[in-house]
Amino acid sequence: MLITGIKSRPVYDRLTPFPEALLHLVVGQGSGGTAMSRLIAEIAPGADIEVMYSTESFTGQNHLAALKDAAPGRFDWFASNAALSQALHDRLSQAFMGTRLYLAGSESFIGLAMKVARQFDLNADEVLREHCGSLVRRVWCVHCDTYSENITQRVFSCSGCGKPLVVRDHYSRLMGAFMGVQGDAEVPGELPEASELDT
Amino acid sequence: MNAGSSVGLIPVIVTQVEDVSPGVRLLRLSPEDGHYLPGFSGGSHITVGIDLDGDIHLRNAYSLMSSPYDTSHYEIAVRRMDSGRGGSRFMHRLREGDRLGVSSPVNLFPIQIHGKLHIFVAGGIGITPLFPQLEELERAGAAFEAHVSCRTSEDATLAHRLSGRFGSNINIRYTSETGRQDFAAILSRRPLGSHVYICGPSAMIADVRSTARALGWSNSHVHYEQFVEQKTGKAFDLKLARSGLTLRVPAQVSPLEVLEANGISIPYLCRGGACGQCETRILQSDCGIEHNDVWLSESVKACNSHFMPCISRADGGVLVIDL
Repeated sequence: MLITGIKSRPVYDRLTPFPEALLHLVVGQGSGGTAMSRLIAEIAPGADIEVMYSTESFTGQNHLAALKDAAPGRFDWFASNAALSQALHDRLSQAFMGTRLYLAGSESFIGLAMKVARQFDLNADEVLREHCGSLVRRVWCVHCDTYSENITQRVFSCSGCGKPLVVRDHYSRLMGAFMGVQGDAEVPGELPEASELDT
Repeated sequence: MNAGSSVGLIPVIVTQVEDVSPGVRLLRLSPEDGHYLPGFSGGSHITVGIDLDGDIHLRNAYSLMSSPYDTSHYEIAVRRMDSGRGGSRFMHRLREGDRLGVSSPVNLFPIQIHGKLHIFVAGGIGITPLFPQLEELERAGAAFEAHVSCRTSEDATLAHRLSGRFGSNINIRYTSETGRQDFAAILSRRPLGSHVYICGPSAMIADVRSTARALGWSNSHVHYEQFVEQKTGKAFDLKLARSGLTLRVPAQVSPLEVLEANGISIPYLCRGGACGQCETRILQSDCGIEHNDVWLSESVKACNSHFMPCISRADGGVLVIDL
């Protein structure tokens, strides 16, 4: 059932400005702050830039003060990734063609934000994603539709339904997470060996 | 069925002929066996086998304009080109009851179903794919609008049919009276997730594409389809190195059409030098190559190592290819 190599895991980018953009929307979380500041400095002066930042972080990185200084225009910050993702949805629903989106942060955060971006049919030529920080996994339970964050173990208990899930090496772009499947569905109680994930 | 152009095609009968505007004729094609034709999605085209006097076998591409939800027949619109190779004049001579061969539909101009708003810009005969495309969008409950350019109201029969069918979402402009559409106004400040589809003359396609680019639209949201007119050239010999065959390519027939008329099938999709499917290696030539495609790079064209048999040709002599 488990596949090695993880072909489906996204290949991330390095944030660089889209020169043709009418609006640069720079969005990130936690340790993504450094990539955001670097990008903002590279965007041509006078361009329309808006920054959204979430201080939620697994590793405790906080770049709020530095970003506030770097952002030339509108700046909004949020205490959680969930609040930021709701605000991103609201902002994109008011945005026009010509907008470019830049995402920086953990894989969990990027998966969450990409799910929003996909609702607006944003493609690879309009979104760049830079991964920052640890590669702990975001896992989506195929049984109860709950996301569990920051998973480091191959077998864990789903934060939604409590089923013992095995984390597959299959990253779903649609769900923006790795797939978690009940590990003992065939023989109750018989689970794969506990092991550290290749994060 | 005739031999020649129809090798490997689906036999159909012309069951209805209607002249809708000056030089534009609608043809309804029904399957010979009375059953159903292959299904298709909006934006698809078929190629029609055309047999002209003098053993000339052509294949022309036409967008399907009938409903994708009724494949008991296909409907196409043919604009008569008085200066062309003779394919459209042949199509305009057809009568009810005549037999033809058509290919299965191919779609190189599909709807992007995840889009939030679908904007169509069409000119002249380029309106035809909009009929099935808008029907698909209407069924999906998706938001769409179309901006159709016609020279005069006399040329607008199909546009009026489209607006009769899809109502206020269709904006018709008579370019001889009020000038061309304001593409910047159509494409400015459109909601994120919009797609634009362009079908019409090459100048219109170029204008809309550059306007979109200037307004920050990314390429993945700009779609276009153009049927290039086959250029006539000089007759030449096409030698197939692997099979040892030598085929004569007449002045108004493409190498691909000659291969097909001789029962040799090679991959193709667009038949217009854009998709790259029919790319073929040149082994030897004692002549110039007219590269009419937009697929090969300028450097490949300059060294004549490959060519696109759907649209490009030799200017006389013998061309040896890797087939």
